[in-house]
Amino acid sequence: MKKITMIVLAIVCTAGILMAGGAKESQTSSSRTTIKVSTWDLSSNPSVSNAVAAFEAKNPDIKVELMDIPSTEYTQKLSIMLNGGSDLDAFFIKDADTTKSLFDKGQLADMRPYIAADSFDIEGFNGLTKNFTMPNGAVVGLPVRSDWYVMYYNKDIFDAAGIAYPGNDWTWTEFEQLAKRLTSGSGATKVYGALLHTWQACVQNWGVQDGKHTIMDSDYSFFKPYYEMALRMQNEDKTLMDYATLKTSNIHYSSAFLTGRVAMMPMGTWFITTAIDKVKIGESSVRWGIVTLPHAEDVPQGYTVGSATPVSMNQASSKKDAAWKFISFMTGEEGASEYAKAGAFPGRNNEKTLSSIASLNGMPEGALHALQVTNISFDRPGVDKVAEINAMLGEEHSMIMLGEVSINEGLSTMSARNKEILR
Amino acid sequence: MNTTQHHDRKRMSLERHNTLVGISFILPNFIGFACFTLIPVIFSFILSFASWDGFNAMKIIGFANFSGIFSDRVFKAALSHTFTYSVFTVFFSMLMALLLAVLLNRKVIGTNFFRSAVFFPYVASIVAVGAVWNAMFMKDAGPINAFLRLAGIANPPGWFASVAWAMPAIIIVSVWKNMGYFMLIYLAALQNIPQSLYEAASIDGANAWNKFWKITMPMLTPSHFFVFMMLTINSFKVFDLIFVLTGGGPGIATKVLANYIYDQSFTAWNFGKASAASMILFLIVGTITVIQFRAEKKFNDFL
Repeated sequence: MKKITMIVLAIVCTAGILMAGGAKESQTSSSRTTIKVSTWDLSSNPSVSNAVAAFEAKNPDIKVELMDIPSTEYTQKLSIMLNGGSDLDAFFIKDADTTKSLFDKGQLADMRPYIAADSFDIEGFNGLTKNFTMPNGAVVGLPVRSDWYVMYYNKDIFDAAGIAYPGNDWTWTEFEQLAKRLTSGSGATKVYGALLHTWQACVQNWGVQDGKHTIMDSDYSFFKPYYEMALRMQNEDKTLMDYATLKTSNIHYSSAFLTGRVAMMPMGTWFITTAIDKVKIGESSVRWGIVTLPHAEDVPQGYTVGSATPVSMNQASSKKDAAWKFISFMTGEEGASEYAKAGAFPGRNNEKTLSSIASLNGMPEGALHALQVTNISFDRPGVDKVAEINAMLGEEHSMIMLGEVSINEGLSTMSARNKEILR
Repeated sequence: MNTTQHHDRKRMSLERHNTLVGISFILPNFIGFACFTLIPVIFSFILSFASWDGFNAMKIIGFANFSGIFSDRVFKAALSHTFTYSVFTVFFSMLMALLLAVLLNRKVIGTNFFRSAVFFPYVASIVAVGAVWNAMFMKDAGPINAFLRLAGIANPPGWFASVAWAMPAIIIVSVWKNMGYFMLIYLAALQNIPQSLYEAASIDGANAWNKFWKITMPMLTPSHFFVFMMLTINSFKVFDLIFVLTGGGPGIATKVLANYIYDQSFTAWNFGKASAASMILFLIVGTITVIQFRAEKKFNDFL
C-alpha cells in the first residue's frame, strides 16, 4: 500500500513538473509566432532545411515548425490533414498537378493581395507561375523549386569520333543526325548515339515543348514527328538503345549513361547532382557535359519541358501574414540562393542562382549557358484527371515503341482513350 | 419450486458465464477482423455506388460506376485477361503438381532433394522471382531465347516485350511458382491411399494405367477439389506477380482485375470505380466457390 502511494505521488510530482515546464516554454515563445509548414524527406533535401534556417535567422520573431512526411505518402497525407482542418499555415505541394484540386476544395489561399502589397516579383519564375494561377486569376502557389529537361552528352564519345560538342541552339533533326555519326561498334560494346529513356515523357515531351500543346489535348497528332524520329533512330539507324531491351531488363538511364554506352541523353536537371556524385565517388569516369534541349524548327531556342514544386498558403491559416513572410522568403531571392547553394534548382532562376549552381564542384564547364531557359512547359499540367491520362499515355507509348501498333494506330487509341477518360 | 428457480438462475448465469468466456476468446481476433476486413468490405460495398476521390465529399451515384466500368476498354480487357490467366494457370498448375507428385512418390535416391527443389519457388520472394524471370525472358540477351535459337527457332518470341507472349510468359512463371506447394498436397494424399487397394488391383490383373485412373484419381478427389479451389481463388486475385513482371504491360496486355482496381484507386483516385470492380471480382470468385462446394458435395455423395 505504502509502495503504491509512493508511486502515485512520484507520478503526480513528475507530471506537475513536466506541465510546469511546458507552460513555461509556451510562455517564453509567445513573443514568437510559430508557423507550421509541411514538407517531405527533409534529410535528403538540405535545400529546404538550409533555406528555413536562413529564414528564421532573418525573422527572429517567427519560428517555423517543419512537419517532415515521407515523400511516398506526402500527397495523400497533406490532403487528409487539410480536409481535417489542419492548423498548417503553409505547405509544399509535391505533385504540382494536384494544385487545382486542392484549390477546388477551397484549401489554398489566394496570394494576390500579398503579392501586390509587397510588390513581390513574380516575373522571375520564367513563366512557371501561370501553372499555379487558377482560372479565376487567383495565384495559389509560388514555385520554390523547378526541374527541366536538358541534353546530357558524353565528351569522350564526341572526342573519339572527332565531332564538335553540340551548341545550345540546335534542333531535333540535328540531334538525330549527330546520333548517327556517334554510333559505333556492335554487341555488348556498342556505343549508342542516344538514349531515350522508357518513360513516355522522353518522346512525348518534345511534342509539348512548344508550350502550345499539353498531354491533355484530345488530338495527339503533335506527338507524331517525335515518334517517327524515335522509331527511325531505334529501328532503321539503330542509334537508340532498344526500347524492349531497356524496358524488360530494367536498365536505368543513369547506369546506361554513366557507364559510357550512350553519347547523348535528354534528361531532367535532377540528374545533375547524381552525375556529379557518381563521378566524385569514382563509380563513373565519364566526362559529361550539358547543353540546352534541342527544339523543333518552329520552336524558339530555350524552350524546354519540366515541372515545379509550389509552396502554398492554407486558406484556413490564422497566421497568414507570417505564412506569407515565409513563402515570399522561400520563393524570393534569398530562398532561391539557398536552394542553388545546395544544388537544387529554385523556381526563381536567374543569372545569380544559375551561376551558383554552375559553379558547384564537379559541374561541367559551359553549364551556365546550357541552363538558360526562356520557357518551361509543364509535362503534366495541373488539371483534373492528369494522372489517369498520364498513365494511359504510358501504356500506349509502350505499344508504339515495341512496334505492336503503328504510330497512327497508337495515336488514335490515345485520342480515343483520352476522350473516354475525360468524358 | 423455489429450488428449481434457483437452479435455473444458476444455470443461466453459468451459461452466460460460458458465453462471456467464449466471446472473450474470440474477441481479440474478431476486433482485428472487423477493423481490417469486415468494415472495409462493407465500406467498399457502399463505395461501389458512390463517387469518391478519397478527399472530397462522397456522392451516391447509384449504378453509374458499374455501367461506367463496363464501357471501359481497360476493364473489359482486364476481365478477359483475368479469365485467360486463371483458366491456364489453374489447369497447368494442377497438371504439373499431380505429375510431380506421382513422380516423386517413389522411394528413389534424391527424392527429398527434388521435392525441396520443386517446393523452393513457392517460398521464394516474389520480387526476386520477378527480377530473375524478367532476365530469363529477355528478348535478345535472355537465356530462354538463347536456348530457343539453339534449338533452331530463328525468331523466338519477345515474351514480356510482346503483346501476344507476355501473358503466356506470366502463366509459365506462375505455374512454376505454384506447382511445388500443390505437389506437396497431392503427395500427402497419395501417401494416404491404402497400399492394399493397389495390391488387390494387381491380383485382378490391372496394369499401371488402370490403377492410376481407377484407384489413384478417385482417391485424390478431395485433394483435387481443394487444389482447384485454392488455385482458382488465388488466380482471380493475382496481382503481385504481374505487377513485378510486367506492371500490366505492354500496353494493357497483361492487366488483370487486381491491377485495374489498383490503378483506379491509387492512380486515378477513383475509389467508386475501383470498389465496383472489386465487387465484380468478389462476385466472380464467390460464384465459383459456391459452384465448387456444390459440385464437391454432389461428387462425394456420388462416390
